[in-house]
Amino acid sequence: MTQTIKLVFSNFKYVILTSVIFTSMFIGLLILSEYIFLEPYIVSHIPSGTELGFALIVTLSVLSALIIPMNIFRINILKSSKQKMGGSILGSIIGATAGACSCGPIGFAVISTFGSVGATATSFLTNYEIPIRIIAIAILAITYFTTVKSLKIECKLSP
Amino acid sequence: MNKKGVIIGVIFVAIIIGIVASFSTSPSETVNLDMGRTHGTISTAMGSPILGDPNAPITIVEFGDYQCEMCYRWFHTSKPQIVENYIETGKANLVFVDLAFLGRDSPKAAQATYCAEDQEQYWEFHDMLYNSQEHVDSGWANSQRLKAFAFNLGLDMELFESCLDSGKYSKRVQYNIDQARNQGVRSTPTFIVVGPDQQKQIGGAQPYEAFKKVFDSMI
Repeated sequence: MTQTIKLVFSNFKYVILTSVIFTSMFIGLLILSEYIFLEPYIVSHIPSGTELGFALIVTLSVLSALIIPMNIFRINILKSSKQKMGGSILGSIIGATAGACSCGPIGFAVISTFGSVGATATSFLTNYEIPIRIIAIAILAITYFTTVKSLKIECKLSP
Repeated sequence: MNKKGVIIGVIFVAIIIGIVASFSTSPSETVNLDMGRTHGTISTAMGSPILGDPNAPITIVEFGDYQCEMCYRWFHTSKPQIVENYIETGKANLVFVDLAFLGRDSPKAAQATYCAEDQEQYWEFHDMLYNSQEHVDSGWANSQRLKAFAFNLGLDMELFESCLDSGKYSKRVQYNIDQARNQGVRSTPTFIVVGPDQQKQIGGAQPYEAFKKVFDSMI
């Protein structure tokens, strides 16, 4: 597993890609979930009772930042299939949409545009935010292990 | 003479009908309302009663929804400190304006608070809703539950039920929603802090420290 990670991230381009994905996803989700505010002052806080939500955002961001570059590496360098890439993108998107709180600007726009259908969709994402994030993490974890396995086989790394 | 008598009789009956009709229509929404009430650029005439000293130098206008999770979070984390340090000390007051958009039970919950206001229990009902919040449209804020909350507060149930069932305050809530949209509010909770010579917007369930900074910059 370490060998696979070393192989991918020995190329500096992938380190930069990982940093960009992690930073944008982490900061974006923290803003969406109201852990960080930019106006009128930059403020951050973790209210009591929301620690699990924060931990899930960290996990989701780390896994996405790890798996997406690994799959891009597989596609670019090894010209492999794009199947596993779908898993990593799907996991990241599911995890991110769960954080789009229905009372935030995104939820407001969706409800204003789609009416009761939008309200039902956003309230579902809000009500089941934690389980949805856990499912997204599970998808990413499965994608991670299958990606590592396939890289080991394709690159003929010693187990 | 006979003709004259009929005309006078008709006029008399019409006056009596008019008087009776004016007393029998449902009470106007303007009862207890100061139609000219504004804070900064916001018309708060149809909003909540003022919490705190009406002459306080700062007014916090909160745009919220009773089903909003972040409003719940703010109510339990930042609001107690704001009430203790600014509202109870006469430095600030608070007005709640409904932006009831999250689900089908949101407008009804907002209307119920004004039915409670008719019995001078607006803030008690408001607090009860935020202490009882569950998932959006899970039934916690349906008509039956709202009546149960009113019962628990010891409100006159006949008055409360007729108010809620008739939709007496539906236009008032809609006015508040329109007012929020006109102010460019696009999420809940959003706060517009109106000071002696400026107003600032605070979006989201920000911590007490963020509000303190804004208040202190205005006083």
